[in-house]
Amino acid sequence: MKLVLAEMEATPKRPAGLAAWLAQERIFRLVPFVMVEGMFLLLLALPFALTIYISLLRWRANRPFEQAYFQGFVNYARVIAEPEFWWSLGRTFYFAAAAVTLELVLGFFLAMLVHQAFRGRRLYITIFLIPMMVVPVVVGYNFSMIYVDSGPLNQILAPILTPFGVTARIRWLSHPLAAQWAIILADVWQWTSLTFLIFLSGFAALPPELINAARVMGASRWQIFRRIQLPLLKPAIVIAVVIRTMEALKLFDQAVLLTFGGPGDSTQTIAFFLWRQVWQFNKYGFGAAASVLLLLLLSSLIYGGIYLLVRERALLQQPEGRG
Amino acid sequence: MARIVLENLVKIFGAGVTAVAGVSLDIQDGEFMIFVGPSGCGKTTTLNMICGLEQPTSGNVIIGDRVVTDLEPGERHLGMVFQNLALFPHMSVFENIAFGLRVRRVPPADLNERVHRVAETFQITHLLGKKPAQCSGGEAQRVALARTTISNPDVLLLDEPLSSLDAKLRVEMRTELKRLHEQLRSTFVYVTHDQAEAMTMADRIAVMQAGRIQQIGTPLEIYRRPANLFVASFFGMPTMNLISGRLSDTNPPRFQADHVDLELPVEAVPAAAVGRDVCVGVRSEHIVLGAQGAAGRVQLTEPLGDETLIHFDYGGPSQLVAKVRGDHGPTDFEVGEAIAFDFDPKGVLVFDAEDGTHLE
Repeated sequence: MKLVLAEMEATPKRPAGLAAWLAQERIFRLVPFVMVEGMFLLLLALPFALTIYISLLRWRANRPFEQAYFQGFVNYARVIAEPEFWWSLGRTFYFAAAAVTLELVLGFFLAMLVHQAFRGRRLYITIFLIPMMVVPVVVGYNFSMIYVDSGPLNQILAPILTPFGVTARIRWLSHPLAAQWAIILADVWQWTSLTFLIFLSGFAALPPELINAARVMGASRWQIFRRIQLPLLKPAIVIAVVIRTMEALKLFDQAVLLTFGGPGDSTQTIAFFLWRQVWQFNKYGFGAAASVLLLLLLSSLIYGGIYLLVRERALLQQPEGRG
Repeated sequence: MARIVLENLVKIFGAGVTAVAGVSLDIQDGEFMIFVGPSGCGKTTTLNMICGLEQPTSGNVIIGDRVVTDLEPGERHLGMVFQNLALFPHMSVFENIAFGLRVRRVPPADLNERVHRVAETFQITHLLGKKPAQCSGGEAQRVALARTTISNPDVLLLDEPLSSLDAKLRVEMRTELKRLHEQLRSTFVYVTHDQAEAMTMADRIAVMQAGRIQQIGTPLEIYRRPANLFVASFFGMPTMNLISGRLSDTNPPRFQADHVDLELPVEAVPAAAVGRDVCVGVRSEHIVLGAQGAAGRVQLTEPLGDETLIHFDYGGPSQLVAKVRGDHGPTDFEVGEAIAFDFDPKGVLVFDAEDGTHLE
């Protein structure tokens, strides 16, 4: 029996098979994807493979590539043993946690206010969306001026802080803790727009009948918010958390523009750490290994986020047999 | 238990759109009242004003002995079933049913007992742990009804609750709703655009058009003695045959229209209509096909099993439809066959040609 099967498999396909396949014109269904697949290979797969290859080399950019040699997982071991990598990673998570939390709370609050119908609603929506559209470099430059010791932020804070005996000359960019919060606040200013937009569409998608049904059953505004609106907004919340966390973990622009990682390395994020290793210290292999490790870490986080999102969506499906 | 009185309710929306243009109605305690009318006639807006989801521009809503016009929906002690049922998708069936009691802070033991009791009534105990998405259309319908009735509301409002079900299930749920009304004896106010639902379930029907009530009456009154041309043509399947013409002032009077000249018995013609331009309405079951009368030609036959619809051309602007019972008359009409038709005097309705009111 096995022999017969092997013979059948070994039989070469007749040319008629190919001609028949071509005659079906299936090839035309594949043609539109050639561009997409080509782009994928060129822009994603190739650089990714190259990064992995480089991460296995001992190669410093100030020496010719011919002198680079394969050294296995040595770079990975070095990255794992490098305390600065872990410090930068921890700091990035701290920045991301603080910034994303603030962005979620503020964006949710603004969307909650704006989703109700009132005069001038569109104007407010436009205003709240502007920060997202500003180029990050411009945001960094603007905030570096706002944060100057004698700048507008300290001047605004002075009348509020002075009565409490606090000197309103916060060194926003040169005190380690203040510099960290300076970066977080700049990120919050720019990206609250995005969470606002996500929540606004989330509120708009809530079926009004559900809220009406709860009203008829005697639920108060708070009960409706707590028991109907908030749980139904979970998918929007998950989307906002996933998107913003992904972005915040790549925080780079503000750290470079406002503080250049300083004072000391108090604002050095993981993206900035990678950039430094590669472009300042020319440690290409080390940088590549660190970025591969980072990719693995972030991918698992994102996968977790998407799993949550899919689960939430499945729970909110409409009953069957209707419509 | 409650009587509902609507006093000249008006609702004008922001852009000057009048949805309800003065509705006054007295719904008796325990009555099954159905608002019926085409889309945009104001029936759902009227229901929303009873419920409190819409604030009337003017007029009053009285439920029982309370004027509730300015009360919140939750304070009116009524239940509502929505068109798409509005079950909370993130809650289990148990939590959906218990929601109304939870927001009123009913003690857990009492709540649990009541949910199980109502679930038994609607035969949905096996669904209590499931999410609404896991229920079939009919089950979801029962869950919505259980959720609405658990707090024993005085009034039950239903906004086209069957419109999203398939035809078979819709007929089944009609019977269940009727039975539920018999059991609860609460006041039911039901909105639909489906005349079959209205005819089969209602104690009384309010037919609405363009924000006004056109007629209020029992289903048979509405069917047999429609107040005007709109009600006459809205009710009945197939639609009532309408022919515009003139009633002669001869004795016996004759109805004369394009290609039609039929003698009508004196008792079938109201005195006010004699010698005037009128519109005569005859339901398909009151058109008699036989050897005598005006001439027509068969265009189409629709066999329905126990009876057959014969669409025929008589030379006028539209075709007429006659219903022939399968066990009495000949049902094997050929397309193109010449026939003669007459009106059964019992079924002749005469409407004013100008304003469409029924002349009696």
